[in-house]
Amino acid sequence: MTQLIAQRPEPGTPRPYRFPAVVRRSVAGGSVVAADVPGHNLAVATLLLDAGGGRETIGVEGVAEVLAKALEEGTTARSAADYAVALESLGTDLSLSVDWDSFSATVQVPVASLPAAVELLAEAVRRPKLDPADVARVRDDEAESLRLYWANPGPRADAVLRADLFGAEVRHGRPLSGDPHSVAGLSVDEVLAFHRSWFAAPGTLLVVGDLSRLDLDALGRAAFAGATEAAAVAGEPFPVAARSTRRIVLVDRPGSVQSTLRLGHQAPHRSHPDYVPMTLGAIVLGGAFTSRLNHLLREVRGYTYGIRAEYGLARRFGRFVVSAGVQTAVTAPALVDAVGEIARTQADGVTEPELAVARDWRAGQLSVGLQTPRAYASALSTLVVHDLPDDYHAQLRESLLSATVPSVSAATAAHLNPDGITLVIEGDAEKIRGELEATDLGEVVVAAI
Amino acid sequence: MSETGFPWPIETTRLANGMRVVVSEDRSAPVVAVNLWYDVGSRHEPEGQTGFAHLFEHLMFEGSVNVPKTEHMRLVQGNGGSLNATTNPDRTNYFETLPAEHLELALWLEADRMGGLVPALVQETLDNQRDVVKNERRQRYENVPYGDAWLRLLPLLYPDGHPYHHPTIGSMADLNAAELATFQAFHRSYYVPDNAVLTVAGDAAPAEVFALAEKYFGRLDSGGARPSAPEGSLAGWAGPVSSVVASEVPAPRVYLAHRTYPYGTPEYDAVTVLATVLGQGRGSRLYRLLADGARLAQPDTVSAYGVDLAYAPAPLIASATARPGVTAARLGSALAEVVDELVTGGVTEEELARAKALLETDWWTGVATVDGRADLLSRYATLFGDPTLVGSRLPGWRAVTASALADVAREVLRPEDRVTLVYEPMEAVA
Repeated sequence: MTQLIAQRPEPGTPRPYRFPAVVRRSVAGGSVVAADVPGHNLAVATLLLDAGGGRETIGVEGVAEVLAKALEEGTTARSAADYAVALESLGTDLSLSVDWDSFSATVQVPVASLPAAVELLAEAVRRPKLDPADVARVRDDEAESLRLYWANPGPRADAVLRADLFGAEVRHGRPLSGDPHSVAGLSVDEVLAFHRSWFAAPGTLLVVGDLSRLDLDALGRAAFAGATEAAAVAGEPFPVAARSTRRIVLVDRPGSVQSTLRLGHQAPHRSHPDYVPMTLGAIVLGGAFTSRLNHLLREVRGYTYGIRAEYGLARRFGRFVVSAGVQTAVTAPALVDAVGEIARTQADGVTEPELAVARDWRAGQLSVGLQTPRAYASALSTLVVHDLPDDYHAQLRESLLSATVPSVSAATAAHLNPDGITLVIEGDAEKIRGELEATDLGEVVVAAI
Repeated sequence: MSETGFPWPIETTRLANGMRVVVSEDRSAPVVAVNLWYDVGSRHEPEGQTGFAHLFEHLMFEGSVNVPKTEHMRLVQGNGGSLNATTNPDRTNYFETLPAEHLELALWLEADRMGGLVPALVQETLDNQRDVVKNERRQRYENVPYGDAWLRLLPLLYPDGHPYHHPTIGSMADLNAAELATFQAFHRSYYVPDNAVLTVAGDAAPAEVFALAEKYFGRLDSGGARPSAPEGSLAGWAGPVSSVVASEVPAPRVYLAHRTYPYGTPEYDAVTVLATVLGQGRGSRLYRLLADGARLAQPDTVSAYGVDLAYAPAPLIASATARPGVTAARLGSALAEVVDELVTGGVTEEELARAKALLETDWWTGVATVDGRADLLSRYATLFGDPTLVGSRLPGWRAVTASALADVAREVLRPEDRVTLVYEPMEAVA
């Protein structure tokens, strides 16, 4: 007969958490930042340039993404097809990514192939062919790709929220990758100009793997060859503008079986001193599975498959966003519940049992999340982009574990703004508009998008 | 480079109640992955109960005899861990990765829901998770363009009564009809030690894990006879099938699918390499011929992949979305030509080497984490009865030759066995 053990076991002896020593080299005008992670067959290299969406000017949003795609259309040394076969025969693609603060190109290959892969990475980034006909074609493909993507629920709601929070007259008030129209309107010259302006600085090469088998200086020389410009200055953070009225913006999606919620307001930038208590507060509200929002809307009400709250933080700005898909018929009550939990958290702060989960979860995830060369490369990237000290990850664990109920409650009080939040709902307007108006959560307007 | 795909130790034992335990020690990170495979998936579901294996997976997080509702998630995350579970046609898996000092907690939690779920399972929980799963279905399959492609392909690939005929997410009607007693019986049949494999990988010694497994799971009773999945013959099920769907999609899209071989066979290794030649990366056939060359397909939409199912010929699926001005018919015939060319023209040594290099990196990426390794060990123990076979997959891919690819392509890519699924935007059809 089955007899379960009722007593929950105590934890064993904690193993030490360690982040490998950060190795830095200055080579050929650029910086190599590396971490030694022996025992892996694969190594990773990422070239990081200060050429993210934040460097785009108004009217050319999406140009960095188009340029990224155009880099793979052949180099001064070989055709697009030859380039693809050369790189993929090493076992990697060229993983290109644009965020608000950086452009990155990453290769991941068996350690012995890393020098050849970095040579090919540099060939595409520093010496692309950028034939005007190819660039125009890539631009058209990217515009169509965005049109297909925007047929999904979410991108339109997010664009509406972003414009409402920051205003469409600033770059970060528009979508990171632009929209189908802005990209279709880009000229070939604008793409070439972005490459000239932002790809001429050496940038930073991140290297993670078995460093005893890698020559960091040689990798750096390959990555920085041909770079001519000095690094640009990042710019100061924008001030946070807090609103005092709430509004509901409806994005019509006729026939939608769910309503897509994007609720948000402005927040501080990534390196704000409140980063740790602020983000722990967001875990209590909507980050952990047992968070207030997920518990109420999923586990008690059954309104959604999942709901989460998080801060999206860049070098110069940030925002707080709650995201969920809820069944159409319960859109209004789900919204009332969500705003209620945000307001409760802002007003009353967090409790010790909830904070204990948030604190230990994030601290433990530093170990759990840092197992692969790629994960370490991502951690190094955070150091570089936000200009953080080399012992940042080790210190972060201590900061997380020492966060207290008063410090986190003070941060939720200061940085959550339930009275000034914008509630964007993408759903079947005909079915949900009346109920939304009846909630009294705020004026309902229909977005022209 | 390692000869085997799994250069870590593997130790196994079997408890008296039939539960198999696999341990792979690796001290390089202070974390431990705990992974359980239960040999039950949607292939076991009888008619009228589609979606039950997956809905049951949700119930496993809702409390057991010594673990109140929400505690499972709270205890794992609140001790620094990640956790989840998945259900597919073949099996259901549950997994968590934690800082190593919490290994015993994870085993206690898993044993409690294996041995003590039924007394804690109540109607309110079932009703709540039924709503959650229905929202999952809306979010993943119904509210996104092309989201129901997999739901549409399965019944075209496998006949009525075949275990792969219906999708794991199930139908809304069956989910609505689900009764508590069915789930209680489901747990008693399938959630028993002799139908499970427990794997622990990472910062733990085999002897310690075996002792803890005995402590927490050794006291659970083994199960009785349980219903096996239907055999699902494909005999007489052939002939090209095609289906055209008019839907709220932004552009025409075409899927071509073929039944191939079961996952784990040398022939399926060849299918995996073939799919990589066909549809992975900018050097693939589909990218070069349809996206780049003929400019018929949107570049970032072309793909080909095998779905790794083990109990019947697994599908190989190729798909592409039309560029503006390109009709579904034009795209569909071009896609078919590229697939046919694999049969008639074979594959070059350069294409083969490219595909193998990409698969090599994919493999090492998959085993770079203790959680990735634990899941693979559970998989090989469950599907093939021997976790050490995990090391043979990568050598299997490496051993594929161009002539093996030609043989497999000839055998499985026959136009007369092809399933074609076409999405047309509503207005194009009206």
